[in-house]
Amino acid sequence: MTVRTLLIGLDGATFTILDPLMEEGVMPFLEQFIAGGVRATLHSVVPPLTPPAWTTVMTGRSPGNHGVFDFFRFEFKRDGRYIRVVDARDVSCETIWSMVSRQGLKATALNFPLTSPPVPISGYLLPGWVPWRHLRLACHPADLYDKIKQLPGFDARELAMDMSLEGNAIEGCQNKEDYEDWIHLHIRRERQWFEIVRHLMTEDPCQLTAVLFDGIDKLQHFVWRFLDPACFPSSPSPWERKIRALCWDYFREIDHFLEELIGLAGPETHTVMVSDHGFSATEQIFYLNTWLEQNGYLTWADGAEPEQPGKLGLETMARRFYEVDWDRTSAYSPTPSGNGIYLSPDDSDCAPDDYLSSRQQLLEALERVTDPATGEPVIKRIWTREEAFPGKHMTLAPDLTLGLRDNGFVSILPSDEVLIPRVEPTGTHHPDGIFIAGGPDIRQGITAPALSIVDVAPTVLYTLGLPVPEDLEGRVAAEAFDRASLEARPVRVEGLTQPPSPLSGSTANSANEEDEAEVMQRLRALGYVE
Amino acid sequence: MTSVDQESILADVLGLMNRLARDWEYSGEISPETFLFADLGFESIDAVVLSSFIQEHYHRQFPFPQLLAELGQREVKDIRIGELVDFIHGHMNNTDADQPS
Repeated sequence: MTVRTLLIGLDGATFTILDPLMEEGVMPFLEQFIAGGVRATLHSVVPPLTPPAWTTVMTGRSPGNHGVFDFFRFEFKRDGRYIRVVDARDVSCETIWSMVSRQGLKATALNFPLTSPPVPISGYLLPGWVPWRHLRLACHPADLYDKIKQLPGFDARELAMDMSLEGNAIEGCQNKEDYEDWIHLHIRRERQWFEIVRHLMTEDPCQLTAVLFDGIDKLQHFVWRFLDPACFPSSPSPWERKIRALCWDYFREIDHFLEELIGLAGPETHTVMVSDHGFSATEQIFYLNTWLEQNGYLTWADGAEPEQPGKLGLETMARRFYEVDWDRTSAYSPTPSGNGIYLSPDDSDCAPDDYLSSRQQLLEALERVTDPATGEPVIKRIWTREEAFPGKHMTLAPDLTLGLRDNGFVSILPSDEVLIPRVEPTGTHHPDGIFIAGGPDIRQGITAPALSIVDVAPTVLYTLGLPVPEDLEGRVAAEAFDRASLEARPVRVEGLTQPPSPLSGSTANSANEEDEAEVMQRLRALGYVE
Repeated sequence: MTSVDQESILADVLGLMNRLARDWEYSGEISPETFLFADLGFESIDAVVLSSFIQEHYHRQFPFPQLLAELGQREVKDIRIGELVDFIHGHMNNTDADQPS
């Protein structure tokens, strides 16, 4: 068996960074590969965030249909507030590896979020975002863990999620040594994922082999100012040079992995590389809940104190959840990742006209928020949930979702001021990610018009010679393929996807309050909340 | 409603924990008296994920938040494996307990 399609995820990758790296000679293989293939901007979902975006890559469905909007699921009901961490059971649409498996092919999928607990397929699943202590349980087939454990350099703590190591991702690098440790950690982590995918491609190649390298995102959040030529100082200090060199080492490793994997797959393999979103710089913090408080929508309980700007960990998020006076709050932003506002049940459950009216009033008030220093609007776009999340799960989505002018994430913490400059520019998610393709039938040296992230799944299925289910929302990126090939092997749109198994889908999505676990309550119970 | 006896659940949970503990280089004996946090080094996210896998194993959902919320009232915010088994058993065999208000 040979690999027909190699799907390589590069979390957070953007041409804004990759192009300069290629020009500097840091990624010579990628430069050569793009020259022999197709590149395009890939528009992400709203908001451009890891869980909803990768779930769209995996399913070919938009968040309103697959049901994932954030790392957490929040519900603001009359009888309480519910928030919990999402997992594979929240994904209510079929994944491409399941579609492939169902049609008699085999698939390998490594390190993709929201794939645990694993839904069995013909092939291999090793999910991402799994705590290292439970990685064995997340593996499919069950003996996969024992196989990868034998690979050189295996270290479950670094391969999977270890909260003691992930602290930087949450709280930020606190000192100079943290930057170096963070970059080295991700070089080691990517090597492990590379070793695993290489091992599986060698021992038991699957027609679809998909792997996600997620360090790019995690690095760019903290080292953006060392990577983006527009941010890097003209007269850098020795330490700044050192950090940039380390960042480049990371990307050299990625380039090496790409070369090895694509070479191992062979010239008959289609390779599709995508990111879930792009990246750019953010230079200000918008304290959304503080703005809601100052404008009469939110009341903190007695004793809620401003937080140190820019810091937000799980403990802080949990504490804030319990520091809201819910009886006197009509709008709240519960997570620092979704840029979403949920209206209270009194608004969302009332007569439709009243709900729309109150939501519109809030929306228009937010549109009038300006930077006192420049007079410019702070928010460039506000989506209602009908605009951003049409689909069967729309009512689980935030009532409003904000796009800030610098694409930054809002802060949900209390603050003395609504808008505060960051000490240093940091990386934030940008809607424009990357699409790169190469291999047989794929045009060479083409920059195609921008694609949508929902186009990835149909395109991958097409490269495998499979039909595209009618209920996928995107299209095959036909502009990436030779005309003659398209005529000889036209796109077939037929059939429908199959929903995940009942336990994995419908049960988790039923509106059972007890099922809607309160992760914050768990954290409090476990001593995480002061 | 499926009825499962307590000994079977204990065997399931101990088997699961012993299988996982090999990966943690945990050398102590795991018994009903073992604490998840103090003895096995769990973090909160581990409890969240363990509850997911237990639900997948038994093909049903349990009100784990209720259990964890009760922990918050305790002086020692931890849970023994035996208590976890009692909790699962109670909800596997009691329709009322399975549908808390």
